[in-house]
Amino acid sequence: MFDWLFGKKESASIAKDRLTIAIMSDRDSMNELPFMSEMKAEIVEVVKKYVGVRAVDIKKEIHGDLEALSIDVELDSTGGDNKLN
Amino acid sequence: MGIVIAVISGKGGVGKTTATANLGLGIAINEKNCIVVDFDIGQRNLDMILGLENRVVYDLVQVMDGEAKLKQAIIKSKVNENLHFLAASQSKDKTVLESKKVKKLVAELRESYDYVILDSPAGIESGFEHTIEFADAAIIVVNPEVSSIRDADRAIGILDSKSQKVKNGEEVAKYLIINRISAEMVQSGEMLKSEDILNILNIKLLGKVPEDRGVIDASNQGKPVILNKKSYAGQAYTRIAGRLCGQKVDMKDIEISDTGLFKKLKGMFK
Repeated sequence: MFDWLFGKKESASIAKDRLTIAIMSDRDSMNELPFMSEMKAEIVEVVKKYVGVRAVDIKKEIHGDLEALSIDVELDSTGGDNKLN
Repeated sequence: MGIVIAVISGKGGVGKTTATANLGLGIAINEKNCIVVDFDIGQRNLDMILGLENRVVYDLVQVMDGEAKLKQAIIKSKVNENLHFLAASQSKDKTVLESKKVKKLVAELRESYDYVILDSPAGIESGFEHTIEFADAAIIVVNPEVSSIRDADRAIGILDSKSQKVKNGEEVAKYLIINRISAEMVQSGEMLKSEDILNILNIKLLGKVPEDRGVIDASNQGKPVILNKKSYAGQAYTRIAGRLCGQKVDMKDIEISDTGLFKKLKGMFK
């Protein structure tokens, strides 16, 4: 309310920003799944049959009531058991 | 078959036990058969808030271990005959609880009461997990303050993963009570707004309770503040209890009060 008067940010809005960031990072670390590394290794095995794989990244995402696993596979054009090109 | 509600917070000292006592009594005043159970083993307090500390003979651990019958351990409130109370054990620690025994006790209580309210210990350890495990719904109590809100989010996360209902593919209902709101501080930008807290926690609002000296006065006497008709916190708990009993009670915006600075400011612009 007095931002313009004193050039000072209200502490409630500082609290809001800090909390939003802290809670986002808390939630990320809670979503580390226990079977993550095993699952990554298996995905690498499957994908490697067709194309080369450099890295696999799995994230648990929550959008409202919906929970999803987002899996990013970074390809490596030089590898792969059954090369496409 | 009644509904089982766990009252949780994550952080201690935010008013969880006070909320449990007042909602229990409020529900009883609405002529529903209600029992409040203190799950805070080793730090028994609900008996003091209810003014029943001298009547505790047996506790819930003795009931779970078969050393006492449930009927022997349940205390009937002097204030309202619909309100019942089961005390925590003071001599043991939180680790004595076992899932199987908690499940049996909760099932028995659900058979006999319309509302079963479990007062959780603070923290997110095993005592907390046992409290939420078999609950149908949870009431999360926070203060408009960063540490309380952050801890509440952690507690909600554990609720969402450890609750039996969630494991069965159902949803556990979650409602927020924001306690100790200072209208003056919200108005001057020194305290988080309810709207912001709800957005951060992504949860439904059950009610707002203002900061009120009457709360300590009530706990001094062992008479829940809901009995004090003049107290703003008491009035807030009356509204919340009404909502829990299925009444449509409008959300009173206690953040816009006509006191202090805000009143003066409004006066200036008249």
